[in-house]
Formats: sequence, structure tokens, C-alpha cells
Amino acid sequence: MSFLELNQVRFHVQELGPGAELGESTPAFMAHGLLVDNLASWYFGAAPRVARDRRVVLYDLRGHGRSEAVPTGYDVATGAADLAALVEATSEGPVHLIGHSYGALVALRCALDHPHLVRSLGLVEAPLPPSRLEEMRSIATSDPKKLLAALPEGLRGALLSGRRRAARARKSLEFLLRESSLVADLAAEGDVADDQLARLDVPVQLIYGERSSCRPVGDRLLAALPQARLEVLDGGHYLSVERSAEVGEILAGFLHG
Amino acid sequence: MSDTLQTVGRMIQEVIGDDWDLDQAITTETSFGDDLELESIEFVSLAEALKEEYGAEVDFVGWLSTKELDEIIKLKVGDVVEFIDLCRSSN
Repeated sequence: MSFLELNQVRFHVQELGPGAELGESTPAFMAHGLLVDNLASWYFGAAPRVARDRRVVLYDLRGHGRSEAVPTGYDVATGAADLAALVEATSEGPVHLIGHSYGALVALRCALDHPHLVRSLGLVEAPLPPSRLEEMRSIATSDPKKLLAALPEGLRGALLSGRRRAARARKSLEFLLRESSLVADLAAEGDVADDQLARLDVPVQLIYGERSSCRPVGDRLLAALPQARLEVLDGGHYLSVERSAEVGEILAGFLHG
Repeated sequence: MSDTLQTVGRMIQEVIGDDWDLDQAITTETSFGDDLELESIEFVSLAEALKEEYGAEVDFVGWLSTKELDEIIKLKVGDVVEFIDLCRSSN
């Protein structure tokens, strides 16, 4: 396990992939979604497929997984600054950024704010603007019970079966929803204008779920971004877990060029 | 108790840390989901510990990435021990 201090926050970082012998391949950095998510959904899902031919760096967002539970900085711009600091601390030259859900917004913002760091983007179910996401209504109530009730059955079962695990999941959610600035930060998060998207001239792979409330965002980004392609999978918002094998293959193929 | 079971058992205790229930014995029948209630992020720590112990010989992450989430939750300690022993005997 490794920890890195970036922007005065202690981050949990893990690497996959063969490392030095593939020195020429551009590394990929992967960001997960909010609240109940952490780097494990990439680690045991799509990341090993992407890591077949390149180094993959995974991290827990601030306040998530094993990264430090800090009270502030849950807006997308700060998330993008965290990711940029991680890229600068662990790589040379531009890299591929991949994100799911809020992690996709962070990757997109990082490419807009720090273009010299980014070679391409893989955006899985980017909810742009965040109000697009059905779960936003339950997040806005700051009630962990309502949020958990809004999750798909399989995911809820994995999080909440058993006393110890359920207690820990609730404690983490209580902190993020009630003691941190996350809910207010998210509510204040706006859209990214089409003319800004039009200037983002890097290859972008979009992946959306057919049954997700974010599905129309895929069409909008496809039209607005100069170098985008779109894959629509049979699934909902939580594609990084629900369809991890397909997501991994699409991303690996995209990065392989 | 096999050496592998002993090693995996020690790693699980380290990963769970302060939450460890001292009365709990780890056998091949102990399940990661129902008995140990391992969280996904603790599973990552276990995978990293295995990587450190056995190196590239045992591709635990690659093995898990072929399984669905509900299969991973149902895994027993014995499944992991068996997988490790299989990898090591074929090398």
C-alpha cells in the first residue's frame, strides 16, 4: 500500500501493470465515483485489462477509501487539482485520464485546466451537469439511508451485508454527507459550456449505460467534443462495476489506438 | 494447517487490523463476505499483500477481475489458498 501527500491531503494510491519494461506506453490514471465508491471498483474491474499493456495508477479520492477524510474540497476543480498533482508526482509527460461518474468530471476538468498533462480521456458515465444524475436528489437530502436506498440492489448488498461492514459504510457516508462540504460543493457545481468542450482537442472515449439517467449526456459530449467516440452498453450508471469487463476492453482498445 | 493457509490467515488479520475479532479462527471454509465481512478496499490491501509475498507468480488481481462482484463476495479463504497453491505448483 502506498500513500502520497498532495495538496495537504494524504492520498491512498495503488499501481497495476507490468511497469518498466513497457516504459514507452503512456500510463493511465483512473478516478472512481463519489460516496460509496473507492479505487477497488477499478482495481478488481476494468483496471487489470487496461494494465495489460501499460502502467495504471489508481487512487482514492479525498474522503474516500483509505485517503484522508478531510472536511473540504469536494468540488470538481479541487478534485482536478488533486489529480493533476498526482500525475505530476508520479509521471513524466502527458498521460491518459479515465474516470467513472464524478471521477469522469474530475478527469474532464483536469484536461480543461491542465491540458499539458493529458493525452486522452476515457469518460464513463460523466454526469454533466451533476444534476443529471438521478441519485443527486438523494445525495442532496444528506441522509445516508436515502442514498443507500437509491443504489442498485447488488451494490447495496455488497456494501451493507454484515454488521462490521455496514457500520463502516454508514460511518463513512455520515461523514461525507453531514460533516464535509461535499453536498454543498456538489450542489454548486455547474455545467461546462459547449464552446469550452469544443476547445478540448484530445481523443475522448465516452461510455454510457443505456438505462442510465445520464445517457443523453453521451450524445451531447459526442457532438460537442472534437475527437470523441461513444459506446453505449446495456446497463445503468454503475458500469465500472456492472459491466467492468466490457468497460476494461473498450478502454484498453481505445488507449492501444 | 497448510503453509499457504497460515500465510493468508496472517495477511487477513493484518488487513482487518483493530477490527479483528480474536475469537475468530480462519479455516478454508471461512468466507470473505459473510464471515470476515471484508470491505472492497480491504480486499485491495489483501491483494497487495499477496503480490508482495508471492510476486508475479500469483496473479490474484487478474484472477479476481474474471469474476463478478457477487462471486467475489462469496469466495472462501480455501478458494484463494487453492488458487495460490495451483499457481505455485505450475511454476
